[in-house]
Amino acid sequence: MKLRILIADDHEVVRRGLCTLLQSHEGWEICGEATNGRSAVEMARELKPDVVILDIGMPNLNGLAATRQLVQQDPTCKVIVLTITDSDQVIREALDAGARGFVLKSDAARDLVTAVEALQRNRMFFTPRVNDLVLAGFLNRGNDGSTATAPRLPQLTPREREVIQLLAEGKSSKEVACVLNVSTKTAETHRSNIMRKLGFHSIRDLVVYAVKNNIIQVQMPSQPTAPQDDSAA
Amino acid sequence: MTIRILIVDDHPVVRHGLKTLLGEHPGWEVIAEAADGIEAVEMADRLSPDVVLLDVTMPKMHGLEACRRIRENAPNCEILIITQHDSPQMMREAFLCGAKGYVVKSNAARDLLAAVDAVSQHRNFAAPESKVSGAN
Repeated sequence: MKLRILIADDHEVVRRGLCTLLQSHEGWEICGEATNGRSAVEMARELKPDVVILDIGMPNLNGLAATRQLVQQDPTCKVIVLTITDSDQVIREALDAGARGFVLKSDAARDLVTAVEALQRNRMFFTPRVNDLVLAGFLNRGNDGSTATAPRLPQLTPREREVIQLLAEGKSSKEVACVLNVSTKTAETHRSNIMRKLGFHSIRDLVVYAVKNNIIQVQMPSQPTAPQDDSAA
Repeated sequence: MTIRILIVDDHPVVRHGLKTLLGEHPGWEVIAEAADGIEAVEMADRLSPDVVLLDVTMPKMHGLEACRRIRENAPNCEILIITQHDSPQMMREAFLCGAKGYVVKSNAARDLLAAVDAVSQHRNFAAPESKVSGAN
């Protein structure tokens, strides 16, 4: 029986690349493609894929929040997160969310097939940096009896994190309510709870918080090289 | 006549995706792939492609610097910038550096074929619905 894989990335070019890469492997098939985390969760509920490959930086519901929901929905769900960074913070959140694989996008062509093969054999796949962090956490736990990787955003519920992403993306309470299929009043309650818990007074504070904590990812403009001669155009 | 294309992006998965999209068009051939700006300049010099698909944010050499150098070395080679930056300022810089087209990655599936078609015929291309409209 074929291994069924669901892919989620908001860029079609990346999805095409991932499909090309994975479909060349005998015995694997792409059973679905999602363009954001929320669609991925819904599609996984219907399609029951063996493996889900999720980009972290996606609109509407990011890959980390989607991983939480996927694992909550089906604890046997095997998720690989694709990321542009392997910072400690992102690694911790991915592990905390229940990801079984962690692949850098820049290394995906090299590592992704190996990662899927590992999950197929009920193993995990992490980059060397993740392995180091996991080991450090394990060793630390041995010393002081507690985990070194305290969960981030401890005071926020998963639902509140979802709401933060939607608000930080510029959605109104009404639009948040629509996306989450709740009443506007409930969305407003979430919003005021979040602001109170975090001690914020403006959406600007919330956006900064969301960026700093990888709830949303922004494109950092690189420094373009100044043209030496305008007539080049 | 076959349009010969060089793809430049530091992410192999993106190169795979671009190659797949371009492969659907008869008469176009991806002749080579480069992973950074320096490789791009060297390959463009050596292979003389008709079109270079060029990412902006890359290691070793920024895409716009590579764009400028490729245009200096091979003026007949047209450059299509493909980037995640949906920014009018970035697009302006790209055109000043000699690019003929500008496509935002999130819209690549929609815009890429039309863009390659345009620049291969030496016409400017900028996505009409993007923030960076106005260069057509």
